Amino acid sequence: MMTALLAAFTSPIHIGTDWVSMLWMFPLLAAIAIVYKTTKMRVLFWRRFIREVLILFATLSGFMFAAIVVLNLVTWLATS
Amino acid sequence: MKAIRDSVDFVLFLAIVGLAAWVIPGAGHLLIRENKRAVIICMTVVGLFVTGLYIGSLAVLEPVQTAWYIFAGQMLTTPAVGMLTDYAQKGDYFVAGRPADIGLIYTIIAGLLNLLCISNAVYMAYTGRGRLIGEDDA
Repeated sequence: MMTALLAAFTSPIHIGTDWVSMLWMFPLLAAIAIVYKTTKMRVLFWRRFIREVLILFATLSGFMFAAIVVLNLVTWLATS
Repeated sequence: MKAIRDSVDFVLFLAIVGLAAWVIPGAGHLLIRENKRAVIICMTVVGLFVTGLYIGSLAVLEPVQTAWYIFAGQMLTTPAVGMLTDYAQKGDYFVAGRPADIGLIYTIIAGLLNLLCISNAVYMAYTGRGRLIGEDDA
């Protein structure tokens, strides 16, 4: 069990070059939203904290999607 | 004389809070009795760093061939990264392509988020903010 756990860190996982690889941004955005709200909220109440983290996470995700769409559009226009 | 000693003690306390926050993510907040923040920060920063290592393997800890600021970013997570890097250098680990990029991004962001937490812990200690008492809203 322990050996298998350590072995997981000795070789990289496979990540392709398709759109699925973009999903790896979500854990990162979640971590950024959680730590940012942890440091910025004056008083940490769980319900309010979770609500604000979800709002920030949704905002970041929305902005990233918008950036993806715009950049793909620019690439498509430049290459077509 | 007492005022000077108090001032020196206070600066020393701030330094200890900052150092503790670097050594163990969240420990700085624990020292100023912000237990909830400490647990959240520790789990998130360490979790993000470990996820980065899982994605790119120990090979993402490569201070020789990567730029110095990348390793500096990783080192901000905790000084233990230095020991882990030393261990990784003795192994024959290799990573390239997307896993290398994503693994590096995860580990660097973990370090930078911990830098934010270090400064926040020192600031909260400086302003004298400990745990505030209140009720959770419905």
